[in-house]
Amino acid sequence: MRRFLWVFLLFLLVGFCYAQDKFDFSGYLKNETSFRIEGLNNDLTKFKNIIELSGQYKIKDDELVFFAKTKYWYDAMYDFRDEYDSGQHYQGHIQRADWLRDCYLDYIKGPWFLRLGKQQVAWGQSDGIAVLDRVNPFDLTEYWLQDFVDLRIPLWMANINYSPKLNSNLQILIIPDFEQSTAAYPYAPFVFYSTQRFENWRKGQGGVDLNIHYPGKQLENSTFGLQWSDRIGDLDYTLNYLNGFYYSVRNYTIYVSGPPQGGPTSFWKVDRSFKRWKMYGASMNKTFTNPGPLQGITLRGDFAYYDDEPMYWGDPIIASSSGIKRLDNIFWLLGVDKYVFTNWLVSFQYAEYILQNSKPGATTARRNYFFNPYTYGPQDPLEHIFSIKISTDFLHERLKPEILWSFTDDNQGRLSPKVTYELKDNIWLTLGIHYFYGSEFDSNGQFRDQSQAYMNVKYTF
Amino acid sequence: MKRIFLLMLGITLIAGYALAQELEYFHVYKPKDGMTADEIMRIKYFNKYTLFAHDVQYTGKAYFIDKSGSIRERSTARKRINLGRASDGIAYKDLTVFTGPAQVKGLANLAWSYINPDRDQDVWLWLPSLKRIRKVSASQADDSFLGADFTVEDISTRRFEDETYKLVKEENFTGYTSDFMKKTYSVNTPCFVIEATPKRANWYYSRRLVWIDKNYGVNIYEEKYDANGKKFMTLFRGYEIFNVDGKEYPIQMFLEGKDLRSGHCTDIINETVKIDQGLSEDLFTERALSQSRW
Repeated sequence: MRRFLWVFLLFLLVGFCYAQDKFDFSGYLKNETSFRIEGLNNDLTKFKNIIELSGQYKIKDDELVFFAKTKYWYDAMYDFRDEYDSGQHYQGHIQRADWLRDCYLDYIKGPWFLRLGKQQVAWGQSDGIAVLDRVNPFDLTEYWLQDFVDLRIPLWMANINYSPKLNSNLQILIIPDFEQSTAAYPYAPFVFYSTQRFENWRKGQGGVDLNIHYPGKQLENSTFGLQWSDRIGDLDYTLNYLNGFYYSVRNYTIYVSGPPQGGPTSFWKVDRSFKRWKMYGASMNKTFTNPGPLQGITLRGDFAYYDDEPMYWGDPIIASSSGIKRLDNIFWLLGVDKYVFTNWLVSFQYAEYILQNSKPGATTARRNYFFNPYTYGPQDPLEHIFSIKISTDFLHERLKPEILWSFTDDNQGRLSPKVTYELKDNIWLTLGIHYFYGSEFDSNGQFRDQSQAYMNVKYTF
Repeated sequence: MKRIFLLMLGITLIAGYALAQELEYFHVYKPKDGMTADEIMRIKYFNKYTLFAHDVQYTGKAYFIDKSGSIRERSTARKRINLGRASDGIAYKDLTVFTGPAQVKGLANLAWSYINPDRDQDVWLWLPSLKRIRKVSASQADDSFLGADFTVEDISTRRFEDETYKLVKEENFTGYTSDFMKKTYSVNTPCFVIEATPKRANWYYSRRLVWIDKNYGVNIYEEKYDANGKKFMTLFRGYEIFNVDGKEYPIQMFLEGKDLRSGHCTDIINETVKIDQGLSEDLFTERALSQSRW
């Protein structure tokens, strides 16, 4: 109820401001429908209806501006399909405070730019692979299929920027807010293999004592970020630092035995906690603009050193974590883009995710493998990740086809062709397919039975 | 000694000639009778990129009209700052922000153009769907400009050095009638008619005929011809003269491109124009892009 009061107040504000020509407003209504195309179950997997409203009010020209964006959605698929009933409570409609996507005040004066409030901050140069883009947690209830603007979970923060000279910027982030990254709940179409497996195990036990330990609400538990951006010649670069709580919770499971002479029975105790970590990174981009064989090519790169990244380890045969280990990992990515044949944009990315103990002997005869947190399958000590995206347009940019193929060296990946058509200025239609393949223990392969065809209809105003 | 003197004289003459080719930023140039085609076209390009002004801001709309009469619309806010700076070779910087419709609202394009005509633009995009800046390669010159009936080079990248020129005739332009605007423009405007031939082999047009306004040195009309000599595209530009501190600035207010093969037509109308407002170069940076809210 409280959220709608907020929206009501917002609209009152809109009415007041509109008359003064200081208000700008837009939004959309959208339906997203998808069908499973794998196996015999070619049935409905999403019927999501979304409304989003955005508005800005210029309190003092461009110097002081208030901006807010709200969003609500309802996925009726959970009403239509009995087998998904269990997930409806969490997956059928928007959760908690997620309805407020942005709510901040901008102050721009000379070299200063302050953005205070709920917002998202994107770091890095990569497309679809979060190397440096770790300031906000992610909503993975539909895996990585949503646009990144919808994937990131906004946080309340102070985003302070100072530009000491042209083309440079120092950004300081102070984030007292905390939200965890969310994954699909058990029985939802894109539930992670590890989540569903844990749920199955939990239901099979007599009793499981599950405790989640969130970071305390003290200032020292805030996340702090720092980014320096500058330009050397025609190369843009950033230096990044992030220090805060890892947004994905980590389980620690122990078996508590009851006393042999009666008393409380034995039970499993699962503690879920968030660990602090640090990220040091850098990014760059450069377009070769001068005549020569490389002219027209854009190079992009991200590099991140994850200090104390909390990871699982254990025996992948039984797919059960034996504990949490803190590793210092490296994740880097290089991307190349170029227009070919007039208006065909080809974009290629290669990334390596290198675990600290990737050297021989890291895994032992006792099968102490590191786990892929999505699946509890064994994680390669050195993961090679590739993506290729080709996009173009026809009919005066009315028809926009695109194909994305992302894959790793483990013969698993995702192929996502789509086409967007502008019916009118305010009505857009998208048709596409997400085809997953690979082993059920791999990130994409776990959804090999969830390949889908989808259609989105968007009405904007 | 004589040889050295002759060499020095030669170098001086060549340097002087080269300097004469370059027009100085922030001045107003107009063509005169007796000028060569090259001289006229240099002025035309100078005016095309508004190099007479320090900065220009526009708001406007683009209309995409297909053969059946169906119309799509985009609205934009554009800013340009002219620099002509030798230290980093930057000629000017452009920032274009889509303000409507809602599907593309907030999409922004920052482009830096260089004095060296062989050098591509540096381009950054603000992508609302990613809420981030993305460095991108410059669009190819023969690509359609935002889906319009003119190409990227028609609007933003074609330079004087890309073509050779021949003065065909001088005549009074008979006028251009826009069906969309229901108006006839530039009737009896005295013009130079110049034939421009691309230096690139197998380019998408074989030649252009360009009508240059004799009074202000702006191209008001052009026709493009394909390899078979068939006219396939026309472009009309309507200008208004703004008086700024006693100087006459020709500013393009209307642009209509017609693809004669498909029957598709694009109109760009500038609704508001502000000139020499003292824009800061800070507005043309990645940081400024990152302040986008939509």
